[in-house]
Amino acid sequence: MKLFYAPGACSLGIHVLLEESGAVFEPTLLNLREGAQFKPEFTSINAKSKVPTLMRDDGSVLTEFTAIAYWIAAKYPAAKLMPATAEAQAAALEATDYAVATIHMQGFSRMFRPANFAPSEADAEAVKARGLEIYNKGLAWLDHALEGRDYIAGDFSFGDAAPFYVTFWAAARLKLELPRNVAAHYARMLARPAVQRVMAREGLS
Amino acid sequence: MKLFYSPGACSIGIHVILEEIGKPFETQVVSTRDGSNRKPEYLAINPKAKVPALLRDDGTVLTEFPAIAWWLAKANPMSNLIAVEFETEARTLEWMDYLCGTVHPQAFTRQFRPGNFAKDAEDEPRVIAQGKALAEGYIALIESRIAGQPWLLSSGYSVADCAMFFITGWATGRGGMTLPPKLAAHHAAMLARPAVQRALAREAK
Repeated sequence: MKLFYAPGACSLGIHVLLEESGAVFEPTLLNLREGAQFKPEFTSINAKSKVPTLMRDDGSVLTEFTAIAYWIAAKYPAAKLMPATAEAQAAALEATDYAVATIHMQGFSRMFRPANFAPSEADAEAVKARGLEIYNKGLAWLDHALEGRDYIAGDFSFGDAAPFYVTFWAAARLKLELPRNVAAHYARMLARPAVQRVMAREGLS
Repeated sequence: MKLFYSPGACSIGIHVILEEIGKPFETQVVSTRDGSNRKPEYLAINPKAKVPALLRDDGTVLTEFPAIAWWLAKANPMSNLIAVEFETEARTLEWMDYLCGTVHPQAFTRQFRPGNFAKDAEDEPRVIAQGKALAEGYIALIESRIAGQPWLLSSGYSVADCAMFFITGWATGRGGMTLPPKLAAHHAAMLARPAVQRALAREAK
């Protein structure tokens, strides 16, 4: 099994889940800055040109953060990454989708790639400001979702991986002040040995 | 159970799923056109200010299209709206996440709400043109990935098809696109389903 990732990208979350799962996998670095995701060697694997991309042992390729996270949790039950009830599983999916599709793709992407949103360079600051607003609103929602619990679905699960990477970006790259529950969740995540191994492998610690 | 939807929005996909299940449910219109989704009454239900949102019988609210669709399918196994083995379940999520997280916000939000991207009104035609170009690319990729006949997955009809339906509805409607053969057959097959007809009729009232 091969995980295509870029250091510090959203693939960090899947990297953490694979490390937690105990599965044997080969982390394969894709250099997004050099445009490796657009080269035929990679587009033949994932035509969407995105990480994370997971090539399974049978050669089939799975894309989309949420789908990969769910699959890892289901495939390696001994790691207890799948919440026990449908209710808790839905909470894990909900937090994952929100972190990926809104906080990351609507918030963070506006701040880091404003030109993808507004054609005029003059609008860049306004786009970034809107991105920050979306990001902070997202962190506030996560803070509420984490009220009274250590992890998104109660116990640690696949649902913590996406909130972790957006929190990592908030803390390490955007230097935002984290809401209380989000900060506690982030500290809990950083204390996990699997997270520490992945951070070291990606050169982030 | 109550679905909050806006006529013609992506919430039509969840509306169809509820009709497919066939158990009684209530609906409440929250028009995103007149800004009802940003009013305090609705923010108290869903602070993300988005549809769809599902108020469940225990009083809890579930958000995010893939999470709601997955939960409804799991909670109603007799409706056969999601596979029982996790490989196909992951593929179902992969489709929904791509459609809801990428195709909708990147291609169609650009066309329908260019002001969310460009601050300068003069840039709006460029944003719309970019949205149309992205839509062409996404539709071509989707066409090449359809594994069933006419459904997205070879395992048969699923909640992923209900997500596909809101995209093909926009593409053929406001998007003014001509669908390639497999997607055209998919859209026609959806329109032939009584559940789809009931949901469309309610939203047209």
